[in-house]
Amino acid sequence: MALASGSARLALARPGRLGLGSCGAPRRGAYEWGVRSTRKPEPPPPDRVYEIPGLEPITYAGKMHFMPGLARPVFPPWDPGWTPPKFRRLPPLHEHPLYKDQACYVFHQRCRLLEGVKQALWLTKTKLIEGLPEKVLSLADDPRNHIENQDECVLNVIFHARLWHSTEDIPKRETYCPVIVDSLIQLCKSRSQASFSGQTDLCPNNTLSTTWNRGSTLIQVHGSSGAQLNAKDPLPPIASREEVEATKNHVLETFYPISPTVGLQECNVYDVNDDTGFREGYPYPYPHTLYLLESANLRPHRFQPDQLRAKMILFAFGNALAQARLLYGNDTKVLEQPVVVQSVGTDGRVFQFLVLQLNTTDLASDEGVKNLVWLDSDQLLYAHFWCLPVVRRKAVVEPVGPTGFQPETFRKFLALYLHGAV
Amino acid sequence: MAAARCWRLVLRGPGLSLHTAAGAAVTAPEVTGPDVAAAPVARYPPLVASLTADSKAARQRRVERWQATVHAAKSVDEKLRILTKMQFMKYVVYPQTFALNADRWYQSFTKTVFLSGLPPPPPPAKPDTEPAPALDVAALRAAACDCLLQEHFFLRRKKRVPLYLEREAIASPFLDQLVASLTGLLSARNPALAAAALDCKRPVHFYWLRGEEIIPRGHRKGRVDALRYQINDKPHNQIRISKQLPEFVPLDYSVPVEVPVMNCKPDKLPLFKRQYENTIFIGTKTADPHCYGHTQFHLLPDKLKRERLLKQNCANQIEVVFRANAIASLFAWTGAQAMYQGFWSEADVTRPFVSQGVITDGKYFSFFCYQLNTLALTAQADQNNPRKNICWGTQTTIYAMKWMEKRSNKNPRCLMLNIVM
Repeated sequence: MALASGSARLALARPGRLGLGSCGAPRRGAYEWGVRSTRKPEPPPPDRVYEIPGLEPITYAGKMHFMPGLARPVFPPWDPGWTPPKFRRLPPLHEHPLYKDQACYVFHQRCRLLEGVKQALWLTKTKLIEGLPEKVLSLADDPRNHIENQDECVLNVIFHARLWHSTEDIPKRETYCPVIVDSLIQLCKSRSQASFSGQTDLCPNNTLSTTWNRGSTLIQVHGSSGAQLNAKDPLPPIASREEVEATKNHVLETFYPISPTVGLQECNVYDVNDDTGFREGYPYPYPHTLYLLESANLRPHRFQPDQLRAKMILFAFGNALAQARLLYGNDTKVLEQPVVVQSVGTDGRVFQFLVLQLNTTDLASDEGVKNLVWLDSDQLLYAHFWCLPVVRRKAVVEPVGPTGFQPETFRKFLALYLHGAV
Repeated sequence: MAAARCWRLVLRGPGLSLHTAAGAAVTAPEVTGPDVAAAPVARYPPLVASLTADSKAARQRRVERWQATVHAAKSVDEKLRILTKMQFMKYVVYPQTFALNADRWYQSFTKTVFLSGLPPPPPPAKPDTEPAPALDVAALRAAACDCLLQEHFFLRRKKRVPLYLEREAIASPFLDQLVASLTGLLSARNPALAAAALDCKRPVHFYWLRGEEIIPRGHRKGRVDALRYQINDKPHNQIRISKQLPEFVPLDYSVPVEVPVMNCKPDKLPLFKRQYENTIFIGTKTADPHCYGHTQFHLLPDKLKRERLLKQNCANQIEVVFRANAIASLFAWTGAQAMYQGFWSEADVTRPFVSQGVITDGKYFSFFCYQLNTLALTAQADQNNPRKNICWGTQTTIYAMKWMEKRSNKNPRCLMLNIVM
């Protein structure tokens, strides 16, 4: 079939020559190229009758078959009325209904910010505090919140995710990363002593969309961030009013000469309306925790820890802002009741924990109350996992299993899960 | 002299096999020769069939030698490796199949008896154990409704999901959510569920031999060959626990129903042969402590949906699809669990392996229970084997009303809850 060759496809893609010819064959023009023997035969010239002006030729169109002596009918070109999706062209950007003159810088799930956390803090007008808040850490250390045989269970989870769940000898990260996060959440849900019915887990179909003005630039967070835990009740604010007022003195770190919008996608076709991803009436309206996975097999395809933390900050902020606008309206103000959203980011081994408190929706200026984020970075769950035993000179040097297991990381994970319910 | 006596014994009894002749040769000196002292140890090595000759006895001896290596294997991994390392052409059995009357075929392949309805309830708990907390059906119903509405209504998706993608885009996450939430809610009543492992789309493989055939053509034409089967299944969700579920009926329970016997070769089903890796896998490797199965959840693909079967005039095949899926998947799972414990066709199970299954197409649910009583399905092991595997199953029941309604209240979850406990 001539359609198989690349030049035919190029011919088809030329604008202004859309539509198929009769019976699905390529257009008449498609055979203009090529060896003479493969060229489509030329159509017969119209009858001389048509050259006589003012005369209506008598054709055999009505008889539905050829009749010698009558003229060959000339039919108007047929318009099918629709184009198959394969040949539909998108309208030019200017004609799109959502086109706007002002460019918007969109952050989606594959955006890598050049300056990482610093840039994310500037974009969201946030102050960084290293380490998780004491309230959450106390939840982690409280023995009442612990699961029985917690360490043993977590080790089983690590074994299952890294070694047991697949028939391969060494499972790949694309399989073991979601398995480990799902198993840890399942462990928290089913074994935690605090029995509460306030949460539900969500599959990664949730699309978030929020827009805000930062100075004169319009910034939008758009897309799905991964699994998200929602709750029936909002998380209580962590920082007191005095701490929130104290952030007025904090100065956001700039990184001149790098523009704060580097790494964001600039686009003119966007929708300004907020979208939390759910309709009204959803029984679990408040976002609780986001779980971001970096599960690509190759290291260059995965985010660096700094870029992952920036992504966590921006998505948590996007969720918090959408929720705040839903609760308190679209006008920019300092929130009486701050909105708190948590986030956990991992690549299957290293965990980053984040708690973000949205204090204000007034993001245009650099002064005033800032938002707060508590960030606990690079928490290893285990240093390395040997899928096969390391044998040197017929002696097992390293047995199968994780090395450098840190139970503290899971305690923080559980604390973030239980926060707000206990 | 003794040798001459042995020879005479052998010639006298043409019906005796060489093995009994060897035994007779050992005891012969004591019986016929009063002058020879009673020597319990034979002076000559036992007379056994050749190992390398082209004879039936030699083949039998080779087979028995191979079986002895399996019996003598120290670990389960090694045993499975010896059983599955040789690859031959085998039938690939698909649990979710469009073949007509596939459930009867699968029953004959797996020596399963199908009983409709659910198994008899377990005997009531002893009075001195504390009573279990009351089943909060309303909470479970609410959780199930929430999952349903979340996927069908509340979640705002970027694009409208086209009809042909509806199943995997909506029914699949709904089933995930449902399993997770029900497991969480019911774990208070059932401590085994609280410690259970939940798998999502993990493969389950099983390889077994059943029956024999005469090879029709090829360099081995005319010889008797065992029929090999392999199931490569991917249940949508499965729950695995560390303690085995209690049996429904005793191991040697004799079911009055017969296993269907098919008079044709499995190729008529249609079933096709392929040669590739023989794997036995329950969803996790042998080292996992959660090696017993609790429940599997399956989602039927679009190819087997009700409307399509009705359009093809196969209304009676709707139930068949569910049953075939249940029998094949649950047999594979329980069989693999039994093999993980070291049982195989020559070392039959000493305790029944029990698992449950829920098969759905997004709207209609069927509940199945399976008890594996025997793994001895090869021609040699099945000669005097009265045990049969049993599968109980319900009719398909509609679970969800149209998603346009705010709250769906028709809910036979009670049925499933009794099973889940």
